[in-house]
Amino acid sequence: MKTESLDRLRSRIVKIDAMPAIPVILRPLLRCLDQPAEQVDMNRIVELVSYDKSIAAQCIRMANSALFSRNTPAETVRTAVLSLGMWRVRDLLFSNSLSQVIPNNRWVVDPSVFWRHSLGCALVSRRFAEIIGYPDPEKAYLAGLLHDIGVLVNCMVAPEEFKATIQKATIEQIPLNEAEQATLGFTHCDSGRILGEAWKIPPDLIDAIELHHDIGDPNRGGPLVAMVHLSDLLCRLRDLGYGYYEPRQVDFANEPGWLYLAMQFPGLADLDMARFTFSLDDYAREVGELVATVFAGRGAS
Amino acid sequence: MPNEATLLKDETVAPEYLADPAWIRIRDLIYQVSGIYQAENKFYLLVSRAVRRMKVVGARSPREYLEFLTARPNRESEMRNLLNEITIGETCLFRSLPQIDALRKVVIPSLAEAKKKLAYTKLRFWSAGCSTGEEPYTLAMILLEETQSTLKGWTFEVVATDLNDRSVAKAQEGVYNDYAVRNVPPEFMKKYFTKSGADYRVADSVRPHVSFSRLNMLDDSKMLFMRGIDVIFCCNVLIYFDGKSKTRTIQHFYNGLLPNGYFFLGHSESLFGINDKFRLVHFPGATAYWKAVETSVKAGTP
Repeated sequence: MKTESLDRLRSRIVKIDAMPAIPVILRPLLRCLDQPAEQVDMNRIVELVSYDKSIAAQCIRMANSALFSRNTPAETVRTAVLSLGMWRVRDLLFSNSLSQVIPNNRWVVDPSVFWRHSLGCALVSRRFAEIIGYPDPEKAYLAGLLHDIGVLVNCMVAPEEFKATIQKATIEQIPLNEAEQATLGFTHCDSGRILGEAWKIPPDLIDAIELHHDIGDPNRGGPLVAMVHLSDLLCRLRDLGYGYYEPRQVDFANEPGWLYLAMQFPGLADLDMARFTFSLDDYAREVGELVATVFAGRGAS
Repeated sequence: MPNEATLLKDETVAPEYLADPAWIRIRDLIYQVSGIYQAENKFYLLVSRAVRRMKVVGARSPREYLEFLTARPNRESEMRNLLNEITIGETCLFRSLPQIDALRKVVIPSLAEAKKKLAYTKLRFWSAGCSTGEEPYTLAMILLEETQSTLKGWTFEVVATDLNDRSVAKAQEGVYNDYAVRNVPPEFMKKYFTKSGADYRVADSVRPHVSFSRLNMLDDSKMLFMRGIDVIFCCNVLIYFDGKSKTRTIQHFYNGLLPNGYFFLGHSESLFGINDKFRLVHFPGATAYWKAVETSVKAGTP
């Protein structure tokens, strides 16, 4: 997108004061997680969970669900956190805080579909990073989780037009960004960048948000962008997408992002892509459980 | 061929039994041998089918059964028996809707566009290992339906082959019970079937488009004649072949396909480690192998 029109969008967002506010726990959480896994402070995570009653309740409920239940039920936040494991708690914290970014009645897209896709993309990005030997899989996870936050902005800034955009994409079976460009004149990639800047998210995550549909020159965004781009594409092809049919044929091994990663990470050559794809059905279950937990909590509050 | 009574009676399995880590190893072994992947949401099926085999051979735990599959002298035949159990009941009309959608929305339009440029308006599909005919009839019905739109004015044929004479004879009859037609969309049901007692008979409008014959895919001399194909379906058949036969058969498939042609396996089956010429392509909910039009693109250049 050209700088001038991006500026116009920025001023439009600021003017109507519709920019979603950063969730309270997001920044401390980002800070807390921005260190090697073994140094993440469990006490701090428990503290963040306890900060929000509904999140605390969800952690306990999830720890006692069929997927994780142990012999003795988890009754405190601490036992729930220990039983779920730090990363799953982090998933809950993120999806929860982000799902409260915009009020319930402002969602133009189905929030559960949105979170299913975002969490799916996060899991796939992380798995992808682990397989190819990218040094920071958790960063890949975050980038996957946040890649579509521009959708939240669009819900707030232009609800009616965005609704029409989603309808257009669904009916014409085209990628969301193409429909947005045609009807709004900007995409969720553009508005996501503006939100990311306002929230002071690290710049490499902002690149992943902006470039996940169209990576352009892969050298610009680097491996993180390429991984999120491919993971987003794969999720849309495997029942973790936007919930509508996009008729297309993708030859992953010849995608620019793939070719770029292959040059940097020799591990990619050993990836059995068919198996990787089939195994996504395993994620679908995990994601479903998480999304159900988040929304069960919201419904009750 | 299993009857329905055995099909519908999967063993009941306690949830905690599913958590045994030996199942993951059995799942991985099945994938290495056959290319068939059982995702966790299908684990129940894998386990309930394997439990049947465990009872037959007398294995008391998944771990012990793993030993039957890896260390015992008759491990290869036991693996075949297990694969048989797993793929039982997979045969029905309109078996994989994502594959059908991929055909109708991506593959057929793409083939039509490419062939139109050559002024050649005929398509040739091959159902290799067609069993009792469910797959080739499904393909013919879809192609017939497409002649109303994308393929207006086109002709097509579906070549259907199987090793087993009895299967071929049954396929030629083209009569199915309600279990076999359970996935058929109502509009296809109405158009392409007639009621025959309690069963359903494939309509006469479909039959001339499908030709059945017996073919052994390991017979090189016969396979050489299978040429000029646009789309091959070969679902859950190659899993019974050893590595060498598999490689040879896939080479025949590759040679038999026209440039830009497609090769579909079962919906969670892959050419694990034996394909170097085909390109794996993804469609929504489905994968296939594609014979790319040969160009002089150098590997590694974006």
